[in-house]
Amino acid sequence: MEEIRSDDTSQTSDLRRVVQANEDIKKVIRISSGVNLVALNAMLVAKRSGEKSRGFAVVSSELRVFSHKLEGAMTGLGALIFELVRDAAAMRKQHHERRHLLNIQARGQQMRKLMEPVLARMDERMQKTGEEIGRDWHQLRLQLNRVLQLCESGGSLSRSAKIEAVYGGDMSATLKQVANQIEETVNEIFSILKLLRSQLNE
Amino acid sequence: MKKLEFIYEDGSHKWAAVARDPERPNYLIDTNEYLVINGSEALLADPGGMEVFSAVFSAISAEVDPYTIRHLLASHQDPDVISSLALWLDFNPEIKCYLSCLWSSFIPHFGGAEETFIAIPDEGMGITLGNLALEAIPAHYLHSSGNFNLYDRKAKILFSGDVGAALLPPEESGLFVENFDRHIRHAQGFHRRWMGSNAAKLNWCERISRLDIDMLCPQHGAIYRGEDVKRFIDWFAALNVGSGIRE
Repeated sequence: MEEIRSDDTSQTSDLRRVVQANEDIKKVIRISSGVNLVALNAMLVAKRSGEKSRGFAVVSSELRVFSHKLEGAMTGLGALIFELVRDAAAMRKQHHERRHLLNIQARGQQMRKLMEPVLARMDERMQKTGEEIGRDWHQLRLQLNRVLQLCESGGSLSRSAKIEAVYGGDMSATLKQVANQIEETVNEIFSILKLLRSQLNE
Repeated sequence: MKKLEFIYEDGSHKWAAVARDPERPNYLIDTNEYLVINGSEALLADPGGMEVFSAVFSAISAEVDPYTIRHLLASHQDPDVISSLALWLDFNPEIKCYLSCLWSSFIPHFGGAEETFIAIPDEGMGITLGNLALEAIPAHYLHSSGNFNLYDRKAKILFSGDVGAALLPPEESGLFVENFDRHIRHAQGFHRRWMGSNAAKLNWCERISRLDIDMLCPQHGAIYRGEDVKRFIDWFAALNVGSGIRE
């Protein structure tokens, strides 16, 4: 109940917090959609390089698998934050309604008695919404951890790609460029999500 | 869940429709909300009722940063148009709301303070969104006595509020009109009952027919495109309105 009876300011800042998290996740989804292209590019470059970069071809194939997994994980993250935004907005509405009921209750003993059952019903609804939001946050944190673990494996793949690029002969520079692209993209996703995770844990 | 769909894009100038919620209870009339975006600023036309706030807010937030919404437009005073006002202002107190001067002391019953509102005079006015010029076009008595459409000359889009509205069955709930003759059957009863003045209707048809419009976007039902815009205007001009009451 204490969570429900927090004041309007903290409820609005909860919705704002959710909106900020949503914007961060949308940014990461946009960036991660580029990983698939980079992975495809890596495979094409490896194919053009032929035998010289067989190792790179293996890594880029694994990278393609990674990019599909990342896409799925980001879709999951997007769905979870969507639910959270919706539920936080619903809570905002309930708080707004509750505020009006409290204003009536403040008008004296008779009003207080009249509003008691009404507020009790409202509090029950808000309790349920609060529990939904709690579950949403929990699921979001779990999914965020999964995506971060996936990014760590992506980081390992990009380091492997850089090593393999060295053995690419005359295609080495091109392979290195692609490997750098992979590393930059994965690192960017990783750092945004790591920051988001620490903000969510505050 | 409501979904946001972009219906027009030209670089950072976009229109989006927020429509079709399969989870909406039947006792709530279905509504379309429209977002006009120009760069980092947006205007939300007819933001919707309080009961659909979370659906609209989450649909918008999935694609657009809701903090970019600097303005609301209330085409008229109905609760399905603007009763979510207080919740939008809770989220961002800096939001301004354009409304007909006729309703400037009525709509605040939904929320807001004096500084929230920008009253539109009866003859209409320009609304700027960054460097984009929009126009609030009078549509009084169709159906509200103080009523405005929103015209984007560059995008050739007219947000027409309740004009053009249709109450669609679930099996014909596409966002765009695909078969005008089949669609308009669902608009007839609404227009006959809600639109109260044949004179106001003909005046509107005459003015609107002179505008260059690719999409006519109503607050209920489906969007008219291309030739269907003219077809609708002609159909509306010929319809006897204010005739929904049996004598």
